[in-house]
Amino acid sequence: MNEELILQHGLTLDEFQVIKKYLNRDLSIEELGIFSAMWNEHCCYKTSKKWLKKLPTDNEIVIQGPGENAGVIDLQDNDGIAFKIESHNHPSYIEPFNGSATGVGGILRDIFTMGARPIATLDSIRFGLIETEKTKYLLNGVVHGIGHYGNCIGIPNIGGECEFESTYDFNNLVNAMAVGHVQKDKIFYSKPKSIGGLIVYIGSKTGKDGIHGASMASDVFSEEDEDEKRPSVQVGDPFMEKLLMEGCLELMSSGLIESMQDMGAAGITSSSVEMASKGNVGVYINLDKVPLRQPLSAYEILLSESQERMLAVIDKKNNYKVREILQKWQIDYEVIGEITDTKRVVFESNNKKVVDLPVEIIVDDAPEYDREFYIPRKRKSKDFDFSKIKLEDMINNLLTDLNYLDKSWVFDQYDSTVMGDTIREPGQSSGIVKIHGTQKVIGVSTDCNPLYIRINPYEGMKYTVAESYRNLIACNINPLAITNNLNFASPLDPNIMGELVLSIHGLKTAAVKFNTPIVSGNVSLYNQTNETPIKPTPVIGIVGSNMDLNKINTNKFCEIGNKILILGKQLTKNCSPYLLQDQKIAFNICEFNDLEVLDLDFEKKIANCVLELSDLKCIMSCNDISRGGIFSALLKMQYKDMGFRVKVPDPIDLFCEYSAGYVIEIRSKDFEEVTSFLTKKGAEYLEIGEIIKEGIEINSKKFDYFDIMNKYRNNFEKIIS
Amino acid sequence: MSFKSAVITFPGSNCDRDALCYLKDLTKGKVHNIWHEETSLPKVDLVILPGGFSFGDYLRSGAMASKSKIIDEVVKHANDNRYLLGICNGFQILTEIGLLKGALIRNKKLKFLGKNCFIKRKFKNNFNLSIKDNQTLQIPVAHNEGNFYCDTETLNLLKNNEQIAFEYCKGEFSDTEENINGSIEAIAGITNKKKNVLGMMPHPERAYSDFHQSQDGRLIIESLIS
Repeated sequence: MNEELILQHGLTLDEFQVIKKYLNRDLSIEELGIFSAMWNEHCCYKTSKKWLKKLPTDNEIVIQGPGENAGVIDLQDNDGIAFKIESHNHPSYIEPFNGSATGVGGILRDIFTMGARPIATLDSIRFGLIETEKTKYLLNGVVHGIGHYGNCIGIPNIGGECEFESTYDFNNLVNAMAVGHVQKDKIFYSKPKSIGGLIVYIGSKTGKDGIHGASMASDVFSEEDEDEKRPSVQVGDPFMEKLLMEGCLELMSSGLIESMQDMGAAGITSSSVEMASKGNVGVYINLDKVPLRQPLSAYEILLSESQERMLAVIDKKNNYKVREILQKWQIDYEVIGEITDTKRVVFESNNKKVVDLPVEIIVDDAPEYDREFYIPRKRKSKDFDFSKIKLEDMINNLLTDLNYLDKSWVFDQYDSTVMGDTIREPGQSSGIVKIHGTQKVIGVSTDCNPLYIRINPYEGMKYTVAESYRNLIACNINPLAITNNLNFASPLDPNIMGELVLSIHGLKTAAVKFNTPIVSGNVSLYNQTNETPIKPTPVIGIVGSNMDLNKINTNKFCEIGNKILILGKQLTKNCSPYLLQDQKIAFNICEFNDLEVLDLDFEKKIANCVLELSDLKCIMSCNDISRGGIFSALLKMQYKDMGFRVKVPDPIDLFCEYSAGYVIEIRSKDFEEVTSFLTKKGAEYLEIGEIIKEGIEINSKKFDYFDIMNKYRNNFEKIIS
Repeated sequence: MSFKSAVITFPGSNCDRDALCYLKDLTKGKVHNIWHEETSLPKVDLVILPGGFSFGDYLRSGAMASKSKIIDEVVKHANDNRYLLGICNGFQILTEIGLLKGALIRNKKLKFLGKNCFIKRKFKNNFNLSIKDNQTLQIPVAHNEGNFYCDTETLNLLKNNEQIAFEYCKGEFSDTEENINGSIEAIAGITNKKKNVLGMMPHPERAYSDFHQSQDGRLIIESLIS
């Protein structure tokens, strides 16, 4: 086999030699395709595996950790919650609408493959600077794609984040998260149960779309590539997915199938190999039986990433009943093979075995690298000049920066109330949905602070986890578990690899302290175009619960006259990275001071105070303090005709970032109770002001309430149009 | 006598469960879920055509569903002077069947709209009896094609026969536009001439439970039961 062909398949010559030595023969082109698909980063985590193994993945509520289609946690009374986040970065840059739509489709299949009904989606999206037409095109396409798919299938989108930053100019990020509800005793796994079980193909016909999608997703981009790669992007059909979801859920609830696997990245190859590996069995598949949209070669069938397809294993005796249910949902169905005891993966086409490989070599012998990495240099400390900073300018800077503005333009394109169980819609610190037919609620949030992580990957990651944790705490939601999406540039650069290693270490530290295990996740590497790497962007998706929907907090002001208190510890202005960056005080990444060490015990202590005060019904509303400080938190809390009057020693304090930072609204009559509670707990607080009607006042200076609110709500759409 | 109702499910309907819960919780009577391929419909007081993307909105929103087997029975039900309510995609299906006038075209801004909207009653009928004059209802919308359009002749007909049931309006503290999707005369819902068939874009079945942001959606079922 010639070298060029091997390299085209994304394998190194060393990797190829390993395979050849093991098999002691040359490979067929179909077999080469299989290794190409299974040995890339996307499928086998060859760079990150060594480090991911260090993460905490288990505690008393984890039912399923990483390794299945999604993680599952226990919510008592036979209720389980399945969730996962996944990236579709490269496809969404090449073709924003279909790339992002199929990202949503893929993550939803991961959820219902487990037997769970999806109940919410979230999206974490990042773009370059809006000044370019390209970014506008990407933003429009991605938001349209996410909305189109989720709206049509009818799963509410309840939150997420949307950031703009120059390192994403040629590498936008699209991470989609989905959450599902499953009865604990009805969870489905990919492991087949019996030898001789029929392998059935369910869903859309196979076409040419997405061939080599998984290996494309593990490539560094160059700009010229874009047009060439477009045919690799899968095209989604949410209507088919809706039918597939209903059909599969009906099959699973009627107990007619043994196991299920979604045909996602690397299509039928990856799903059948997974099945064989999980069950420690073999698979035999006749490719001639695969339903096709157009004539395809065996090679193409194996690597097609056509959407909305599933592979299931059924007992022979259920064949007729399965067919009947799928016919009702108008879904294609074909028996294409069976589970064997050979521990080999065999694909046949035109009466010829085109692939005959031991499962072991594909899965267990997949490469694992211990790549070189550098630890960032220690930063010098520096005092910045704040003397020329004016309060008016600071406010104005926030109101003209997309990252601070109300993002209704984005989430108004999403259906967030379908299924009728939505309690908190996008735009609040966390999205909240009710478990249908119960009083229990699930709160979910996604978060990442790439700037922090670039400055200090270890501490920065702790801050990111803590911020997502605070997002839930603010709503009186008890954080339970995490899914992560590690988006990084090329790990072949030891600096980038260092960011990857240290941020995983930070994630571990924080997750252990908060007792929030990582139950699922995804890694997306090589997010760089030419020489520009993205900022390290390990996105956290966090899930929590409250057993009583009446106990959750709102993030919006409740009543004029109520007092505003601040909890937590302010970062100094010299160590508030977003303040320095967004107020145009620091421009270059090397200028920033190191992050203050985040005290996770302190985070927990303050969080417990917020939870207890919420249960005592002393908190009328609460929001966490993040980018943009107290001022930004207060703007987000504005509701109806309410504004705020605050007094602080130095107005710049209002824009500094925080550890364990929360704004809480309390009634005057509860002031004594709340403050003595906090004092008793050793939690410092700051009384900074009160809620007033139609006004914004800072240190006795009055600002134009209507002008500020108008800009906050409407500038986003103006800027992006 | 207990109030009986039914919800039709088409492939791609995604608000059928919401509509079933809405009816079960508010009517306390028997609620049937009918698959689109059925050829008979039980005798019920109200049928709901729910929201969603029936048949993936292929061809035109509601066009394929309007040719489903069950539709003959739905038309019979309406001709028998019993209540028929189409919500969102259900409204689109009713215009495709021809039970309601006009058509629903793409929103003015050509974007999907998923948010709270405010509506008020225009002309009184049995679906909105419990609503007070000038009362503003807060109910979510979620549609891509909700921009009601008809020619002038039809519009005059709708007005003269008092067939306009709901129109969009401004909420007290909201800066949402008055006419959220560009509908002609801000029409949010219309009835047939006999006023037993209502189509509306807002989703009352997402605004009735205590934990919903608004409970104004109850008023429609309360009107029908009273």
